[in-house]
Amino acid sequence: MTRNVSIAAVALALLAGCAAAPPKKDYAKFIAASPRSILVVPVVNKSVDVDAPAYFLSTLPIPVAERGYYVFPVNLVKRLLEDDGLSDASLVHSADPMKLCNLFGADAVLLVSIERWDAKYVVLTTQVTVEFEYALKDGKTGETLWTDKRAMVYSSNGGGGGGGLGSLIAAVVSAAVTKAAPNYMPLARQVNAAAMIYPGPGFPAGPYLPSYRKDLPAAEAQ
Amino acid sequence: MTRATGIAATAFLAAALQGCATSTYYAWGAYDEALYAHYKDPQEREAFVENLKKVLLQAEQEGRRVPPGVNAEYGYALYEEGQYVEAVVYFQKERDLWPESRTLMEKMIRNAERQKPASPTPAQGPAGTLEKS
Repeated sequence: MTRNVSIAAVALALLAGCAAAPPKKDYAKFIAASPRSILVVPVVNKSVDVDAPAYFLSTLPIPVAERGYYVFPVNLVKRLLEDDGLSDASLVHSADPMKLCNLFGADAVLLVSIERWDAKYVVLTTQVTVEFEYALKDGKTGETLWTDKRAMVYSSNGGGGGGGLGSLIAAVVSAAVTKAAPNYMPLARQVNAAAMIYPGPGFPAGPYLPSYRKDLPAAEAQ
Repeated sequence: MTRATGIAATAFLAAALQGCATSTYYAWGAYDEALYAHYKDPQEREAFVENLKKVLLQAEQEGRRVPPGVNAEYGYALYEEGQYVEAVVYFQKERDLWPESRTLMEKMIRNAERQKPASPTPAQGPAGTLEKS
């Protein structure tokens, strides 16, 4: 009987672990700042893929706006920054967030950097890896309101598969196809979606969602 | 009610995790793909304008609000094509739909109005009457 109880206790603990958000983020600053609009600026690129920054930029507006915040048009913002001499994303990221936000009338600025964006061939498998680091900074104080770091890996040869020449050839073909045209975009979108999930790592509901201010962590809610 | 919200929450989570939500809060159409295609082939400017226009039309057809930034992005695409008058129309739409965009949109409207091809008659007064026939 004691064994059953302890199994039940372990099961409950595991379930509780799954239900609760992993390392709880401190949303106090975010909630105090209460941004309504978010400026998404060009991303810093730490990978060797020169196309990555622009392609990845295209995936950012939707997940952020879906959380209920006004998101400025990314291409317009990119072009205006370029015209202002800030065509290098690192220059944008090292600029004063308060000045950046003031330029556009934004409450906060989202700074993302691509840590990884690569496809590696490793023994009959191509592994596509994307990793991003996010930071949201307050336009009024320059303080960091929120950060996240998230990665996702796709393996062209997911399962082991039975032996035999057939599955070997299939693995090689799959790896080659993936290496030739890595599926960065769907992966990037999945990572952004995962980063925005709330409760969890993401943003609380913004002013345009019905759940605005209704989904705040109990401690901070008024 | 808890069961329904539980199911809804799971469905949302599943969709969000898959990275392509089956039902999004806004009617985005192929907006992110339009941006991607633009960055892939920057020379295909007409295609970019067309793709953005499709997003707007789709939202209109579905009777849903045009999502944040889309009117402005379309306006700017027109602006870069030299269609300043049309661009202003869309910057105004963005400004009216999304109050947070006011500062930026008014800046863009001023820029677009400055770009309007100069009138052939020189030194017009505010009345702007014809001084040369």
